[in-house]
Amino acid sequence: MKRFEDVKSQEAQDLYFPTMCKVTQSKQITSMEKWYELEMPAGQDLGHSPGQFVEVSAYGIGEAPISISSSPSKKGRFELCIRQVGTLTNVLKNYEKGDLLGIRGPYGKGYPMEQLLGKDILIIAGGIGLVPLRSLIHYVLDNRKDFGRLIILYGAKTPDELLFKEELADWTTREDVEFHMTVDQGDAAWTGKTGVITTLIPSLKLNLNTTFAAITGPPIMYKFVIMSLKSKQLGDDHIYVSLERRMKCGVGKCGHCQINGVYCCQDGPVFNYADIKPLEEAL
Amino acid sequence: MECFSLLRTDVPTLIDHLGVYGDVVAPHRKGDVSYSFETVKDSSEVILDYNRTLLPLKKAFLPPVEKLLSFSLKEKTSSPEEVAIEPKVYFAVHSYEMQSILRLDHSMLSGNVESNYLKRRTKSRFVGISFNPDEFHFSESVGIAIEEMEGFDLFLNEVEGEFQLYVLTENGRLLIHGFDKLKTAEPEIVEGRKFKKKIRYHYNRLPRVFQYAYNSEVWADVTSRCVGCGACNLTCPTCFCFDVSDEVTVTAEDGLRQRSWDSCMLSSFAEVAGGENFRDKMVNRTRHRLYRKFKYITDEEGLPWCVGCGRCTAFCPAGISLPDIINDLIREDEKAQHHQRVLV
Repeated sequence: MKRFEDVKSQEAQDLYFPTMCKVTQSKQITSMEKWYELEMPAGQDLGHSPGQFVEVSAYGIGEAPISISSSPSKKGRFELCIRQVGTLTNVLKNYEKGDLLGIRGPYGKGYPMEQLLGKDILIIAGGIGLVPLRSLIHYVLDNRKDFGRLIILYGAKTPDELLFKEELADWTTREDVEFHMTVDQGDAAWTGKTGVITTLIPSLKLNLNTTFAAITGPPIMYKFVIMSLKSKQLGDDHIYVSLERRMKCGVGKCGHCQINGVYCCQDGPVFNYADIKPLEEAL
Repeated sequence: MECFSLLRTDVPTLIDHLGVYGDVVAPHRKGDVSYSFETVKDSSEVILDYNRTLLPLKKAFLPPVEKLLSFSLKEKTSSPEEVAIEPKVYFAVHSYEMQSILRLDHSMLSGNVESNYLKRRTKSRFVGISFNPDEFHFSESVGIAIEEMEGFDLFLNEVEGEFQLYVLTENGRLLIHGFDKLKTAEPEIVEGRKFKKKIRYHYNRLPRVFQYAYNSEVWADVTSRCVGCGACNLTCPTCFCFDVSDEVTVTAEDGLRQRSWDSCMLSSFAEVAGGENFRDKMVNRTRHRLYRKFKYITDEEGLPWCVGCGRCTAFCPAGISLPDIINDLIREDEKAQHHQRVLV
């Protein structure tokens, strides 16, 4: 147990005061999601790893946990993509180049990039789950020779909800990316696959020893995707999930993000499936 | 450890003497039936014989509503809240309350060390006092004796209406320096202060009970009576969960960001934007609260995170008793022995 007497005053921090970061670019990319590029003050680097998140705030409105969507290999600036779904995010819709956003973080555990070196990376993104996984995708693409295959499965509800369409087109044509996409419901112009994301899994040919999967999507998606991967005999410890919870403080204090006894904001949001499989509240 | 005798009639003088170090915070009567830790203005108003305060002493270190920063929307500026380090004496504190502060220390100072909490805690001194357990206290069942002196600088043990004052730390010795109403005494053991409420098992057997209790029917039974008000969390001395919100002045030019105590028993506690609620059933919230007290942190730290103050029971509008829940779980465990699913 940590005792008061053992704490040195220099260890203490103001954990809740944000750094103001300037929006350098922004773009509404779907009817619900806006993309932002931000700059830390005085040329600082955010210093995150793929899979981590920041607490974003607008004074007078509030604060919310948001995934970082760019790779740490991009220096000087970082990117967020925010779905307009709550009070804060609907205000952030109006933020443009030059506006200041409060940022705390980066927080949490991202993907164990050292362990993933040389491995085949299987990305499985459902809907807005592509936003945090994009950080990992960009990292692998920026360090392409350090990894094996890069397989990306992406599913959205409709073609209108597809994110980062230019990048999707790029991944489709790149020879060093195996990209498969589906929508639950197509429209008149849609010529691609339709069906839920799990329909993309059976035809995959995976090397079970070298493949690591990273899954992010709506809560309902995880167990079905994991079932599909299990039917392909992929090991539990070869599966990473990134979980959404109400990570209000980001520093392991406020209690809102607990998954049984685990703090999602400290031990996650990226978890190895083998570690959280026994937790009843996880998936 | 030095021990002195102190007349009850000299206690107000002792409080005045402690006031030389800093503000003294002590139990005061609040209304007809309640008590509250308040800053002493008149030492004769301090209550020495009280069962429990409504709000725990955690309010001194983790205020119910706490300003974190202020901002100006007009000037586009913000500034952090500076907490002053103030010497304070917390007087007539019960042993379970002190134990709750030691647990709060762990919660707020392990991992990320919180500066506001540390500053409030830095020059705090604690003077304990013995108490007579009422029908709700059960701290003995979680390993905390009436005379447990860990964490205190001084401790007042009531012996036949008068007091014995124990000096436990160098800070305690400094606090009473120059106070001339003390006479050296031999420590006496007080018999007869018995706990009326008990958990049937020793607390070190409870993690095993909880290991098998995840899908117990007891949770549904408790939930059928619970109104979900969250009073158990708000009066709990070891609960530390909070929410953060922004408040703007009527002119909409300035505002502040504040945190306030929150409750894992409230339905929106684990809800995220978009409406997904990760603990949407009250039965899950009830279980979570109890697992936070007897399993999750306990597995790591070896101690129950409940100190047996009895507040959650005494102040529950539905009359739900925490020790009765535990005793029900024990009874069910004895009946079912090992047939339940294991939460690893």
